Amino acid sequence: MSLKNFSELFVDLDSSNSTNNKIEVLKNYFLSNDPIDNSWAIYLLTGKSNRRFISGRYLKNLFSQIYEYPEWLIDTCYLKVGDSAEVITLLLKNKSTTREKKLSNISLNELLSKTIPDLSKLNDEEKNLQIKNIWERLPEDNHLIFNKILTGTFRVGVSIGLITKSISKLINIDEEIISHRLMGNFEPSIESYKLLVNKNINLQELNSKPFPFLLANTIEDKIFKDSINDFQFEWKYDGIRMQLIKRLGNVSLWTRGQELVNESFPELVEKMSHVKDDFVLDGELLVWNFKEQIAYDFSLLQKRINRKSPTRSIQIKYPIIFIAYDLLEINGRDIREIKLEDRRIELEKYFSKWQNKTENNISDIFKICDLIFPKDWPDALTYKEKSRENNTEGLIIKKKTSIYSSGRKKGIWWKYKVDPMQLDAVLIYAKGGSGRRAGLYTDYSFALWKDQELIKFASAYSGLTNIEIKELDKWIRKNTIEKFGPVRSLKPEMVFEISFEKIQISKRHKSGIAVRFPRITKWRKDKKINDADSLENAYELMKKIS
Amino acid sequence: MRTKQEYLIRYKDGNLYCELADIWIDPSKPVKKAIITHAHFDHFTFGCGEYISTKETAILLKERVGENIKIKTFEYGEEFKINGINISFHPSGHILGSSQIRFIFAEEKWLISGDFKLQKDETCKQYEIVKTDYLISECTFGLPIFKWDESKKITNDISKWINNAPEKTSLLFCYSLGKAQRLLNEISQTNFKGNIYSHSSIHKMNNNYKKLGIDITDTIKIENKKNIDKLKGSLILLPPSLSKGSYLKSFKNIQTAFASGWMSIRALRKRSGYDKGFPISDHADWDGILEVVKKSEAKNVFFHHGDSEALTKFLVEKESINVLFFGK
Repeated sequence: MSLKNFSELFVDLDSSNSTNNKIEVLKNYFLSNDPIDNSWAIYLLTGKSNRRFISGRYLKNLFSQIYEYPEWLIDTCYLKVGDSAEVITLLLKNKSTTREKKLSNISLNELLSKTIPDLSKLNDEEKNLQIKNIWERLPEDNHLIFNKILTGTFRVGVSIGLITKSISKLINIDEEIISHRLMGNFEPSIESYKLLVNKNINLQELNSKPFPFLLANTIEDKIFKDSINDFQFEWKYDGIRMQLIKRLGNVSLWTRGQELVNESFPELVEKMSHVKDDFVLDGELLVWNFKEQIAYDFSLLQKRINRKSPTRSIQIKYPIIFIAYDLLEINGRDIREIKLEDRRIELEKYFSKWQNKTENNISDIFKICDLIFPKDWPDALTYKEKSRENNTEGLIIKKKTSIYSSGRKKGIWWKYKVDPMQLDAVLIYAKGGSGRRAGLYTDYSFALWKDQELIKFASAYSGLTNIEIKELDKWIRKNTIEKFGPVRSLKPEMVFEISFEKIQISKRHKSGIAVRFPRITKWRKDKKINDADSLENAYELMKKIS
Repeated sequence: MRTKQEYLIRYKDGNLYCELADIWIDPSKPVKKAIITHAHFDHFTFGCGEYISTKETAILLKERVGENIKIKTFEYGEEFKINGINISFHPSGHILGSSQIRFIFAEEKWLISGDFKLQKDETCKQYEIVKTDYLISECTFGLPIFKWDESKKITNDISKWINNAPEKTSLLFCYSLGKAQRLLNEISQTNFKGNIYSHSSIHKMNNNYKKLGIDITDTIKIENKKNIDKLKGSLILLPPSLSKGSYLKSFKNIQTAFASGWMSIRALRKRSGYDKGFPISDHADWDGILEVVKKSEAKNVFFHHGDSEALTKFLVEKESINVLFFGK
């Protein structure tokens, strides 16, 4: 019933690689702690507490100030540890000298609902004193959790699925139900925990919640043996996957990350609230070019996501659309168990009904996705290759007979993504990684030729195997030209194939271009730096696409 | 200030070398005369003309290099002369037989720390403070994030870890010489009372320790992994080299852990792939290194075996101690 227990839970979860073990550990935790702390534990473990009360930098400065510790030394330690909260935890060891009563039994609830939020009410000086006071009074074993919550960096290798499984085991109720109960806003409270572990299933309770999303798998060759007629084809849009829900007259808009985003897109909520039917729709939100009927770039959507109550002019400048893929519930009737092709018929039927209501024209903000009808698999490939022209990422291929189950169910929905664009580039900078990659140089910057000069064009940190990372780390240490803090400039010698999804003009970058999702796809040990691509090659690539 | 060549001890071909005595300290390649701080593989090499070490180290070295090597041994504190240089071994507290080596020439004292720790360890002699003018120190854990807990706390954690999983076989990975024996000695004083097995490489070293009068719990040598079904609830000590690959496949229902100072950092713990990490080390932590630097009263310090950047800057700025660079 305390932070202490939760700290122990964290250690147990963190030091086990076995799923069954983790489920067992979680189950026992829920059994032996009270509902309010359990609700907080779930809140933390499912990553819903990413609020940052103070920054890692602030934490480091504060420590440096209190204990007269050189900041450069803390920074050097950070390079090894990769997490500010952990560095400070390690440095805090044996520092407490206070005779004040220890906070050894503070409850998770008190810490999270009072002690930490209250810090925001204080001025800097009082806040610093209070943090120091907590550091000195908390048992050392609890420092890590406290610092991580404070800096909004609490994470542990527990998926929401694992929580679902352990609760399902705890009360002997189907995982699907628990998963549904965990969707949406989970506010920590005795009631929310009691609802979660309620053994009686009450359908009304889930009214405001989205269904667990069904996700597509990356395509596998075996699908090409099946008949093309078994599948429904859609474009794969690069927007935000959402469920648009209207139940008992109330509209709610949920992202796949289970955030309620009504406030960011009020025009959609308003329009849909006039529709006469209740519904749950699965679809994608995009910023839409209505003239050409294609999506605008994702970067424009980003301008809308984090902005609550957007002004009228923002709404006009970045016009949104909801493209519905699927109908999951209609007027209170859950139709996830019927076949996709039949759900599609329902979707089309209701869409035309809604469209024909002249007093409420929804077509300037809502549509259903167009289907594509390739003749055969080679034809599907042709469609896929053309997807960049209409700003999509490829195709989504769905089995017509599939029911809407939850999660990344194998073998019913596939994504067939367009091949990435690629350039060969030279490694010129490396930076120490953080988290699991601390102590290794894992963040890389790559350059392309411009005349005789190498110009940085992209940074990437994924794509190498652990063995390659170690090998490259060794090479980096031996071939450093200069160090600037955590960054090293390197002898230009190594060539890598960099893949990315999009390329566009950018005034912010020296190279004049920006790429989306750059990643390393091959270490081209066979290539010398003179074989690397030039910026000109990049511009050509851009021309070819637009 | 003197040039590097004029130091009594300097780096040559990546090794510590005393030219006046024509003697190499812990050389990594075969030389005529090698003086050895301790018997870990990264501190000696095969094929040297002559070895010089403490008595205990000699026995362990023979186990590793062979019975026929030419080796001269001395007691801790016993002074001997080579080309007019007074040399002596002093306990470094790292493992059985481990030592610091002091060189005195023309009233100038040099001390090579060897690998050392200050923590209590019943399987070897406690670190001895030795005064010196020049100190050459290791700094494996030369950052303030490294602060060791009392080893009793760690071994109690280990015992709890095993006792809490009675259905499993607990595999604890550790260096076969030194760490394994220290763990055995301390685990036998905890609540864990089950069977302990050890890999042959560890078992061999246990016997050497026992021969030298060190109190080590008896363990069962794992041979051809017989009786593997009966290992439930027991502890098996294995060298880290076996943690990857096929060796583990024949064990059923296991949990794994690694005992090493590096395990105090979460990222390293996660990356290591073991279920659990127990931060226990035979090297000094940050405070330990600082204490030795201070108490040795050295006016000049060199660091090797580790990343010394932070330690150097700290000593120069905060403690005004002269830290020198050998170059390699």
